[in-house]
Amino acid sequence: MKTPPALALAIAELKRVTRDRTFLFFLIVLPILVILLVGLTTASSTSIRIALVPGPSTPLATQLVYDLEANPALKTQRFTTRAQGVDALRRGEVEAVVVVPPTLDADLKSAAATRIPVLVTGDVQSSQAAVTAVSSVVARHGATVQAAKFATAHSKRSFEQNLATTRLLQQETPETPVRTDVVNRKSNYLPLGYNYSAPTMLVLFVFINALAGGAAMIQTRRYGIFARALAAPIRPRDLVLGETLCYLTLALGQALLIVLAGAVLFGVSWGDPLAAAALIGLWALVGTGAGMVSGTLFRTPEQASAIGPAVGIAFGMLGGCMWPLEIVPQSVRLVGHATPHAWAVDAWVTLVSRGGGLADIAGYLAILAGYAVVLLAIASLRLRHSLVTP
Amino acid sequence: MSAVLAVALKDLRQRLRDRSALVLGFIAPVAVAALISVAFGSASSFHANVAVVDLDRGPVAAGFATFVKGPDLTNLLTVKSVTSEADARTKVANGDLNAAFVIPKGFSEAVTSGQNRPIAVLASVDSSVAEQVARSLAESFTAQIEAVQLSVQSAVRAGAPHASAVKLAAEASAVKLPEQTVTQPAGTQALTGTSYYAPAMGIFFMFFAIGFGARGYFLERTGGTLERLAVAPIGPGTILAGKSLATFVYAVASLGTVAVVTSLAFDAHWGPPLIVLALILALALTMVGLTALVITVARTERQADGFASLLTFGLVLLGGNFIFIGGAPPLVRTLALLTPNGWALRAFTDLAGGAAWTAAVVPLMAILAFALSTGAVAYSLRRRVVR
Repeated sequence: MKTPPALALAIAELKRVTRDRTFLFFLIVLPILVILLVGLTTASSTSIRIALVPGPSTPLATQLVYDLEANPALKTQRFTTRAQGVDALRRGEVEAVVVVPPTLDADLKSAAATRIPVLVTGDVQSSQAAVTAVSSVVARHGATVQAAKFATAHSKRSFEQNLATTRLLQQETPETPVRTDVVNRKSNYLPLGYNYSAPTMLVLFVFINALAGGAAMIQTRRYGIFARALAAPIRPRDLVLGETLCYLTLALGQALLIVLAGAVLFGVSWGDPLAAAALIGLWALVGTGAGMVSGTLFRTPEQASAIGPAVGIAFGMLGGCMWPLEIVPQSVRLVGHATPHAWAVDAWVTLVSRGGGLADIAGYLAILAGYAVVLLAIASLRLRHSLVTP
Repeated sequence: MSAVLAVALKDLRQRLRDRSALVLGFIAPVAVAALISVAFGSASSFHANVAVVDLDRGPVAAGFATFVKGPDLTNLLTVKSVTSEADARTKVANGDLNAAFVIPKGFSEAVTSGQNRPIAVLASVDSSVAEQVARSLAESFTAQIEAVQLSVQSAVRAGAPHASAVKLAAEASAVKLPEQTVTQPAGTQALTGTSYYAPAMGIFFMFFAIGFGARGYFLERTGGTLERLAVAPIGPGTILAGKSLATFVYAVASLGTVAVVTSLAFDAHWGPPLIVLALILALALTMVGLTALVITVARTERQADGFASLLTFGLVLLGGNFIFIGGAPPLVRTLALLTPNGWALRAFTDLAGGAAWTAAVVPLMAILAFALSTGAVAYSLRRRVVR
């Protein structure tokens, strides 16, 4: 059976494009590396990060350090000197620096009130959450010391003996004095970690690669391949269809590889399979349209492969691929929804975080379909025009 | 010298005629920095709307309500009123409140009788920091209660008569916790998103100078202009110096423009101008070294393009230009220091955070060492170019 011209053209174009190893790097390796890096970074951003300068290993100081390190709200990192802790604070690696005083044990055993310095950036308010979390640990540590001192004052046992008893009593207390009750389970954000980085990077990279892929179409035009193909009994619309099929295959292929890598390497849950497939399919069509517009808009391959990614990154930022749009001002959120990315990310939030299905993302899919139709129409008209115009 | 300048000026003219070089070197980094500035420009520090649901109506619960409304917490909390626990739950769920405290019925009585009735913190799945802060506040308050209970229990365990427990509790209530935190300014400045991402994006787009330089060399070779230049009475060193100068000037102009524009227009803090200039010059030298390396390793324009792209994206990924490296795990932060851009970002971050210019000296040395090493490797492979 004879292969239809559009399909034959798509296959030939695909072979040419995928022969380029750099292109394969951008298609597969780079997105996976970025997913890994962003996933690792966001996964560790749920806790309050604290630098800890422990001081000497005296019993009360050691216990305070242990309490701080054991607190689930805090992610601590030890530093030997105060200066190292301040460096970490300056670099945004931590939100506050707790300096355990070298005389802590002696001070606590004496009658004097002891103060634990918590170093913060110039704007104290920016570290209030960290200070509050540290203060609660210090307060509970203080409670045991106070109890041990009180018992020592009312008995013949030593402070150390009473402190051990107090600690034991604190551990024996069956119920924590505070409990948390999470009132809702459906989030408006993607879960942090790989479940955040994989869907957002899928949206970002399929679009960027499609835009940069416009360079291949320009190259084809420059080589005169289109002109020669038209000399054969091939209609311009077959060429347009062939190019569309080529781009769609690449976009779908990249999306599926990211889905596979996300699921296998990073354990990403992509939500309802049917809805996810529909979303990926429509996003691939949006990417195809954008890539073909890029191929017909730019004059040189260098322009397409250079300006395309820059535009893709900017759209990704506006559309919530780099950070959730919930955390930016309302006006920025509105502008962001001018990009198709924002609707795609909203759809992923519905699927991944809210357990939604096809019906729940139908609105988003319709909007993405609108983008795809407009982009594909513009690209097809421009490509056809360039083919039939001498 | 005039020949070097002539080659450099010709390359620069060619590059500026190409719109992609203009977009990548100047427009894109400024546009991205502008986007980040708009997105995070009005971002304020943490503040939470909370409510207290008092089901107890006793004195201890009233004490808690006074505690959260106290002057120390006004910057951190705004206490809103709610009609019931259900109202608080609804408001937390739909985001009107970041968290709510529910003081259970019988809380005050339980406290005075030495029992435990936990305060509930109502939180939303989307406000983990607010949850942690609310929980910490409740724990700070209950620590005082816990101290009294523990004091009595410990004293009784240590031999104090059980019958005197009420007297002991009254006595323990009068004692204040022996330790508390005190916040102190560390002498650092808060690092804004713009101050981090302006240099990060500027350096990222500066890396495209490698591709432009290497591709330009191979285009000249395939076009035959390189051979024609070789016929002229100028040595190959002059041609290479001219091409290196063009890459250097383009790179300096690119990052320099980003530094000036983002400082003036978006309030990005780069640091003292002289040391910032030194860092930009060192980074530009690195671009020259990397361009020379790509030219010596690649055999065709296509290969040069590929190597340049791999180097660019490999280094910016590892160096932390795409992510906020301060929030990354320690291993990723350490790996970033294998790259010149990682060192540059460290320097710019330190300077933006209020460090003295001397903090940038070690990063500057590291960047220069990288530039020298890549240049040296390219020099040792120079014979590959003469083919």
